Amino acid sequence: MSTPVLIEARSIEKRYPNGVLGLKRASLSVQAGEVVVIVGPSGSGKSTLLRTFNGLESITGGEIVVDGHVLHQRSADLRSLRQRVGMVFQQFNLFPHLTVLENLSLAPVKVLKLSAAAADERARALLVKVGLSDKCDCYPSQLSGGQQQRVAIARALAMQPAVMLFDEPTSALDPEMVGEVLEVMKQLATEGMTMCVVTHEMGFARAVADRVIFMDAGEILCEDPPSAFFDAPKHERLKTFLRQIL
Amino acid sequence: MPNSTSRWLWHGLAVAVLAVFGASLYIASKRIDYTWRWERIPQYLISTEGEEQKAPFDGFVAVSEDGKQLSMTALRSSETTSFTDFSRVLVGNGDLVFEGDVLAKKDQLGPGPLLIGLWLTLKISALSLVFALVLGLVVGLGRVSKNPAARDLAAFYVEVIRGTPLLVQIFIVYFFIGTVLQLSAFAAGVVALSVFTGAYVAEIVRAGIEAVPKGQVEAAQSLGLSGFQTMRHVILPQATRRVLPPLAGQSINLIKDSSLVSVMALTDLTKAGREVVSSTFSPFEVWFVVALMYLLLTGVLSIAVRRLEKRFAAQG
Repeated sequence: MSTPVLIEARSIEKRYPNGVLGLKRASLSVQAGEVVVIVGPSGSGKSTLLRTFNGLESITGGEIVVDGHVLHQRSADLRSLRQRVGMVFQQFNLFPHLTVLENLSLAPVKVLKLSAAAADERARALLVKVGLSDKCDCYPSQLSGGQQQRVAIARALAMQPAVMLFDEPTSALDPEMVGEVLEVMKQLATEGMTMCVVTHEMGFARAVADRVIFMDAGEILCEDPPSAFFDAPKHERLKTFLRQIL
Repeated sequence: MPNSTSRWLWHGLAVAVLAVFGASLYIASKRIDYTWRWERIPQYLISTEGEEQKAPFDGFVAVSEDGKQLSMTALRSSETTSFTDFSRVLVGNGDLVFEGDVLAKKDQLGPGPLLIGLWLTLKISALSLVFALVLGLVVGLGRVSKNPAARDLAAFYVEVIRGTPLLVQIFIVYFFIGTVLQLSAFAAGVVALSVFTGAYVAEIVRAGIEAVPKGQVEAAQSLGLSGFQTMRHVILPQATRRVLPPLAGQSINLIKDSSLVSVMALTDLTKAGREVVSSTFSPFEVWFVVALMYLLLTGVLSIAVRRLEKRFAAQG
């Protein structure tokens, strides 16, 4: 039995209204349980690609199917797709007017129609998992960046998604807080969560990824298992990139 | 602490400047031929005038010795009547009075014309504020709507209302719309003020919504919240905090703008002031008192809003 493909993107293209091509014939498929890390220089379209997977970014060509939802059609039911796809942002984007617990239970109650008690229970369990069970009643502004990002991960998990998207989850953090967030992500990967991660953390990519993807100028230039990717880079531009960052 | 000493010095300077300003006003008023009669003002705030007892027909009056009872015998018939419910008799025993003459008055504490005007100002402002907030919210949402028709209509409304003077709008509402729809002066006043203030509230609401970071919308949508749920649970609660100070300013403006409804047959605080001036011939005192009463209303409002802001600020 083959593992189901959760994300299938076929030669997708994103052309901005001003004519600039953000994505060029990018194709990618992610299987259930896989951890795919996307790296590349800034402006290479990594985040854009990731954001097409839950419809935050529309595409102008190609096809995307995520967990059985056909995204490239006009009638795409984005709401039901998004219930299956969790997203973690660079800037956390926690709801500042809600407590940590309320941040986690808002969507389960309003979207999944869970009872308040059930959502509360689920939220508390997730906060234990990310190590913040004592912060239930805090407001996001009372937490450090690393704690906020862990809450944001828990918030996405509260919807029990099939796949988690991470858009540079540690880029806005002070260096000493990067570790705690990566730790939570590693744990998720170990538990078998399907993950797509855009990041500059090469150590994380090497340790956790099943595949690493290199993007430049809106194109996917190569994808390899981390060992091949880092130790024996084939593509010229990837070699230059790795030299610059390592 | 030299720092706090110099701060008090500056506060002292401010008080001194105000004192000099007040003194020059006083000197200026001395140089013109004006007699200040502050003692005339209180009766227009609190009136002691109560019900009047009037003669129901022509006849002679009889007052009892203790002055507690008043009776009347008709001039051309044998009809008689008597009164007891009064505190001051204005006629003498045996006087001939005619139908409608005031025989006695009952002293009774009650609000004077200025307080009654203040009450109307308060009522019309409060009612208009409620409608303006609802209207402003709807139009503000229209301004940021994805639907072009909603955006056009909202923009048209805001531009027309902000581009014309309130006084002209009041005349149009009172004379045109009020006549067509048979509105009372009070209803016309509420309509004019809410429509006017609503346009400004709409712009405040729009600015408040646009000030919420885009990431908040993306986070909400990524969780599967609908457009309405995103607005209701994520954007509006955050926008509320941002719009509170400008809304407070707009509400204070509304109270002040409400003085313009005095051009209709509405006895608000300003109109009451004008009426009191014409009966006392003391315009200076009356307008100072009226200004102070407006200041009282707006002051109470801004203190209330500051409290509310503090409460919102508490949640980080």
